[in-house]
Order: sequence, then structure tokens, then C-alpha cells
Amino acid sequence: MQVLNFIIKNILTQASVVIGLIALLGLALQKKPVGAIISGTMKTILGFLVLSAGSSVIQGSLAIFGDLFNKAFGLKGLVASIEGINGQAMTDLGLGSEIAIVLAGIFIVNIILARVTKFKYIFLTGQALLWESTLCVVFAYFTGLRGLPLILVASIVGGAFATLMPAFAQPVMRQITGSDDIALGHFCTIGYMFTALISKLTGDKSKSTEDIALPQSLEFLQDTYLSVMVVMVPFYLIVAIFAGPAACAEYAGDTNYIIFMFLQALQFVTGLYVLMAGVRLLLAELVPAFQGISMKLVPNSKPALDCPVLFPYAPNAVIFGFIFTTIGSIIGMFITPLMGLPMILPGVMSNFFAGGTAGIFANQVGGRRGTAIGCIAHGIFIIIIPALLSPMLGQIGFQNMTCTDVDTVFTGFFFMIIKSITGIF
Amino acid sequence: MFFFKKKEKKQEEAAPVVNKEELIAKAAEKVNALEESEGDDRVKLLNEIGSLYTQAEETDQAIKYYEESLELCKQHGKASTDLMKLYNKKRQEAAEAKDDEKVKFYMEKVQSLMQMSKDMIRGNA
Repeated sequence: MQVLNFIIKNILTQASVVIGLIALLGLALQKKPVGAIISGTMKTILGFLVLSAGSSVIQGSLAIFGDLFNKAFGLKGLVASIEGINGQAMTDLGLGSEIAIVLAGIFIVNIILARVTKFKYIFLTGQALLWESTLCVVFAYFTGLRGLPLILVASIVGGAFATLMPAFAQPVMRQITGSDDIALGHFCTIGYMFTALISKLTGDKSKSTEDIALPQSLEFLQDTYLSVMVVMVPFYLIVAIFAGPAACAEYAGDTNYIIFMFLQALQFVTGLYVLMAGVRLLLAELVPAFQGISMKLVPNSKPALDCPVLFPYAPNAVIFGFIFTTIGSIIGMFITPLMGLPMILPGVMSNFFAGGTAGIFANQVGGRRGTAIGCIAHGIFIIIIPALLSPMLGQIGFQNMTCTDVDTVFTGFFFMIIKSITGIF
Repeated sequence: MFFFKKKEKKQEEAAPVVNKEELIAKAAEKVNALEESEGDDRVKLLNEIGSLYTQAEETDQAIKYYEESLELCKQHGKASTDLMKLYNKKRQEAAEAKDDEKVKFYMEKVQSLMQMSKDMIRGNA
């Protein structure tokens, strides 16, 4: 009994161990050799610990940024980072075990739904599933669920989103790919369909973005972290200048306040770098394990793949989509404080991936004009929607951050609606 | 939903009649021409062969020529979009045959093709 108590109290309450055990299960189900099971499990545990380390670096930097932003402009400034939200939820909020179990639960519910319903979509983008799992757990927790009910409800909701979001995008996907073989597995679908609607209403399908000669790449986005730095450094410096040396001195001490904030911006990027290295380690074993199982259990499935699957269909539209979404997100950034919401600082990488894919959707149904108008609207949409969720995230305990991928935000809204309805009875 | 009606129309228009033997013969002709070609001409020819084999539903052959095309010249377009569908078809066949290794093999091919698309658009390829 004492041994059992020791195991429950000291081992099974450790999120890193629980996550390792899930990886172990996945690897064992695939009948991997013992050596591969042990190394895969250990790497997954390590991934969680690296992720935690990255998360605390990000939060250290953002705590200073958030406070000085408030002093400089008299309002709240939130950085849009789904990675950061995941980091805080898994570590500070102590929901790491639940998030990992629900990640596996989402896989299972997705397989069941793909087998028994006409929606044969298997969601294969590991990182996106981790973000969805995070928001499902966070909001299920917020609605008051704990333990097994929390895991079941979050898995069912996440699994339903993982099955239905690719189905929602498929009518436009069929037009883009010219077939029904491949689906889109990226939790920004509501944003893409919103963009397509605006584009269809305002655009002209006959004039495609692909008829224009453009450079085929965005070279300044070659390095993810450099691109994030290019955006975060000006944000931090503007805050430093407006807050002034006196306000910054509380944190900077004897260091020049501009230099200090420049280094804090780099700290943010460092945290993101470490956190993402942790996420990759964490998912490296889990995702292929479940991918193999799901592909076997639903052989006639349509794989829902990450957004780069669409880039070859309309590379110009990706570039236009990124540019116009960025313009829209800057407009959105100034709109949110007027609505009495915090100012949301857009993320460059989400603008690139979500914006680029929105560009492909928009071009397909509304050509160049539709892409420009649709993607500006998309940029505003992906800032306002997370801003609307931010008061609830603040109540839960998230500091200085909000989500990016809009489907995960709608997951939050979904839980809030359920909570309101059940509250009536 | 405003997108659904069109889909049905498109599907009705699809399914053109193709003569498989004719397509294979055309592809074989172009394969012969490959020996004398190089550079952009070779890439163009490889893509044409890949496309003919795809239409003829000779998946392995189509994959072979498209892969060579992308090895010579990484570019967005029909080679990579067709290749993605062909890999998926092979993955599905492997899943139906319960061949775990092949499922894994073609999933990895899908992933690396997506990585290539991502790298290309970010100027890394």
C-alpha cells in the first residue's frame, strides 16, 4: 500500500512522467523494440522539461513587457502566441498531464468518428493537436470539470473539432486541389472559410494571383526565430521609449533601459526557441505512433495535413495572403483597444502560415481582388477573435498572452456557451 | 453553405474517358527522348511523363519520374501536387494491405514533400 501511495503521490502526479507513459503506450502498441520504447519515452519526458524551461523564459520576459506596456500606454498589451499559451498551461497552471492524456484522447475520438461517420478525416498535424488539446483542457477546467470527466469531455470536443474542421474546409479544398484525396489539418479553418466568404463576395475569380510574376519565396522568413525577433525587438523598444527610463529602471537596474529591453526581446525569442525544441521532442514519438495506428484503423481515411500541403497550388497567393493578413492584423491591433479589449500584438509566424493559407483560399474563390480584401479582413478577424477570448484567459490565470489559431479560440467560446447554458439549469 | 453546390457540379463534369494504353505509349516515347535531354528540357519532359503515368494510373512509374524532376529542380506546381496525391494513394493501398512499414514510408514521403514546400516559399530550398 505504501509503495502504491508513493507511486501515486510522487510519480503519477508528475506531468512529465504521465506524458512519458503515453509515449510508452504508443510505442508499445506499435510493437517497437524495447530499446526504441525506452529511448522514445525518455525523449518525450525530456521534451516536456525543455518545454517548461522555455515557457518560464518567455514568461519572465513577457512579465516585464506587459507591466511596462501598461505603464507606457495605460492599457493591456497581449502577445499572440499559442505556443506560449501551451507552455503556461502545461507548467504554471499544472495541466500538463491532462493535456497529454487529452492529446491521446483526441486521437482516439478522431479515429472513432472517422470510422463510424461519413467524415473520414484523420487529423495529422501534431502541433496543432497539442494546441487544441491545451485549449480543450484549459476551458474544460475553467467550466469546473476535473479528473476523468474533464479528460472525457475535452477529448470528445477536441476529437470532434479534429474531425469536423477538415470537413468544414473541404468544399474549398476540393476546388483548390481538384480532388477529394487530401484535407487540411490546421486549426485556423474558421478564419480560412471567413476569408473565402469575403473573397467570394468581393472578388473576381477569373483574375488569379498566379498570373502575376512574383518572387517565389519570402526570403526574410528564412529563419523562424530571426523573423520573430524582427517583430518583437521593435515592439519592446517602442514600449521602452514610451514607458521611459524611470519605469524601466525597476527591472533594468544600472543597465541602459533601451539595451535592457532589446535584450528582453531576445529573451522572448530565446524562450520560444527552447519551448519549440521541447514541443518537437515531445511530439516526435507521440505523433508518428498515433499516425501509424490511425492510418491502419481507418484505411479509407483522408489525411488532414498541415497547411504547407497547399503552398504548391498557389505560391503567389501565399505571399499576398501573408502581406494582406499582416496589414489587416495591424489594423486589428488598433481596433481592439477601441472595443475596450487589450491590444493584441500580432505574431509574424502565424501571419505567415495562417495568412498564406488564407491567401490560397481567397484566391481560389475570388482571385486577386478577393485575396487582398479577404486577407485584410482575415488579419482583423484573427486579432479580434483572440482579443474577445482574452478576458477569460486572464481569469484562468494566463499572463500577457493570448491564442492565435482561431479554431482553438472557438473551442474556448464553445465551452463558454456550454457553461452558460448549463448555468441556466 | 455557399461552396457546396459547385462541388456537385464539378464532380458530374469529372471522369473523362482515358485510354490507358495510349497514355503509356506516349509516356514511353517521352522516356526515350529523356536520354538526349538535360536542364530545363529534361525537367519539363520528366513532368510530362509523370503526368501521363498519373493519368494512366501507373502510380509507381509516375512517382519515379516526378521525384527525379523535383530532385533536378525544386519548384511549386504539378509535380509536387501530383506527387502528394500519389504518395497518399500508395499510403492508402498500404493501409488496406495492413503493411505498416509502407504506411510509415509514404507518410514520411508526404511529410518531406510538405517540408520542401515550406522551405521553398521561405527561400530555404
